Amino acid sequence: MADHNPDSDSTPRTLLRRVLDTADPRTPRRPRSARAGSCALGTLMWLWNLRGTGLERLRARRALLETASPRKLSGQTRTIARGRSHGARSVGRSAHIQASGHLEEQTPRTLLKNILLTAPESSILMPESVVKPVPAPQAVQPSRQESSCGSLELQLPELEPPTTLAPGLLAPGRRKQRLRLSVFQQGVDQGLSLSQEPQGNADASSLTRSLNLTFATPLQPQSVQRPGLARRPPARRAVDVGAFLRDLRDTSLAPPNIVLEDTQPFSQPMVGSPNVYHSLPCTPHTGAEDAEQAAGRKTQSSGPGLQKNSPGKPAQFLAGEAEEVNAFALGFLSTSSGVSGEDEVEPLHDGVEEAEKKMEEEGVSVSEMEATGAQGPSRVEEAEGHTEVTEAEGSQGTAEADGPGASSGDEDASGRAASPESASSTPESLQARRHHQFLEPAPAPGAAVLSSEPAEPLLVRHPPRPRTTGPRPRQDPHKAGLSHYVKLFSFYAKMPMERKALEMVEKCLDKYFQHLCDDLEVFAAHAGRKTVKPEDLELLMRRQGLVTDQVSLHVLVERHLPLEYRQLLIPCAYSGNSVFPAQ
Amino acid sequence: MALSTIVSQRKQIKRKAPRGFLKRVFKRKKPQLRLEKSGDLLVRFHPFSGWEWGTGEVHLNCLLFVHRLAEESRTNACASKCRVINKEHVLAAAKKSRG
Repeated sequence: MADHNPDSDSTPRTLLRRVLDTADPRTPRRPRSARAGSCALGTLMWLWNLRGTGLERLRARRALLETASPRKLSGQTRTIARGRSHGARSVGRSAHIQASGHLEEQTPRTLLKNILLTAPESSILMPESVVKPVPAPQAVQPSRQESSCGSLELQLPELEPPTTLAPGLLAPGRRKQRLRLSVFQQGVDQGLSLSQEPQGNADASSLTRSLNLTFATPLQPQSVQRPGLARRPPARRAVDVGAFLRDLRDTSLAPPNIVLEDTQPFSQPMVGSPNVYHSLPCTPHTGAEDAEQAAGRKTQSSGPGLQKNSPGKPAQFLAGEAEEVNAFALGFLSTSSGVSGEDEVEPLHDGVEEAEKKMEEEGVSVSEMEATGAQGPSRVEEAEGHTEVTEAEGSQGTAEADGPGASSGDEDASGRAASPESASSTPESLQARRHHQFLEPAPAPGAAVLSSEPAEPLLVRHPPRPRTTGPRPRQDPHKAGLSHYVKLFSFYAKMPMERKALEMVEKCLDKYFQHLCDDLEVFAAHAGRKTVKPEDLELLMRRQGLVTDQVSLHVLVERHLPLEYRQLLIPCAYSGNSVFPAQ
Repeated sequence: MALSTIVSQRKQIKRKAPRGFLKRVFKRKKPQLRLEKSGDLLVRFHPFSGWEWGTGEVHLNCLLFVHRLAEESRTNACASKCRVINKEHVLAAAKKSRG
């Protein structure tokens, strides 16, 4: 027998030989033998066809099938193998016919198992040379046989899973393991087979792989019958390491530039900070900044504030001071608008903390006059300090603190000469605070100062405090509370407002509060209560059209109120099976 | 206390509701009524389980009112092509909303 045909089937032949030698004539699958026989034939032809695509394993499988009946087919297998090796399809066909009769005695399962167990004799590389010349001529012929063998071929894969690599293991228990393993093998083989199919030549397939790949046959029949349905595995290209590295280099070039340039979380501060810094030493920016500054109120309030604090100073200096402050404020605003973080974030925060601490220390007792007197030498810092202090003040909070806060802030400013940036640390909160602070202390002189300001005069809170000390209890807190909403009004309006307009807003608010209380009273009375409850509020808002079926109260709460209030108003479940606020 | 939350705005406003003010106003206007829930803050679940319980919604109402008023005034001002909001604009807006 042609043991080692150098051209092609040395490997399968050796396998076959081995199988034949070791083949166990027993046929545990007797009942299946008939089926196995036909299946074997089918797989044989299928393998033959697959060989056209260059799959060694198919040949091996065929070899396995051929060895299904080692006793009777030994010669035939060899002939078949020989025929294959020689590329003679007819031999295969004859073998097919012959094999059909002889396959019944041994199941392909056992045969395959045995073959798989045997190690390949040939090297992995061997088959490549062997396979290449073969596939082309053979590819054409199998097509005819494919259809006939399709059913058979399909059947074989079902049989294959039970067969395992374990030699001579036919116990059902073992079969389960084999099944699992074979399934895994199938998966592996399928993957390998798919990848190899399109290649046309299973060049790299080793014998073992070819053996293993036999389990991947389930996919083959389909592809053979209907090539269009064949699942093409993705073309795997070797990773081009060079290109990859090049890409890495290219991409890495860009980010480092960005990172180096923009060490701050926001790049905008670079734009804003120069304004801030320049505003202090020089006032050329003032005009431009004022012009662009929509929040003229702040600048003007700061102007009058400064005025008040330093009455002794020449008006020009004060005006310049105010301008500086305005510019500073504007600078703050511009910075704040752009960014929340700057290079000097840390020092800024520190500065603010210092400001706050100092404010607390100084308390409310410091008189404005004293503060203004102390301010004389450090005008520049004062500007910063003002902003800082006012901002820090604002963080403290209340309207009453505004007056003394301003003075203490001035002192603080003088104390902290070198912290211009600190004010801008929390520009947003600071802006509001400063605005708030300057509102209170800004008295009538503010009007004179305002006129010097290029921006629109804006002040709101003139009436309440500094002018009259009489109706303090009623008017002041009332106005102070209203001022809060008036500020909100100007904020929502986003446009500069006249002072008279703001007064008008005050009146409107007053009326509104009246209406509000009346309505709430009516609602509570309607509910038979003497206490106004949130339900009354909800009803009120519903009547106002704020709360609709689409927009619920909670939605509004979430939209407009800060988080702390939201937590208070919207019931939320917490741990321990508790809801807060309690319903 | 409640600070401004919006970062990108040009000016920042205190978002804290002037609770004392609201309560005072309410008391003045309607001394016979009580504003609910301001006192039952026994469930100290939250550090903030303090002030704004009863007045939070009133504050919300005021906020929304002011918001609407401001929007309306702004519209009026823009309609008259002024860069500044005048009292006429505000008056018109108020009249529209309150009749």
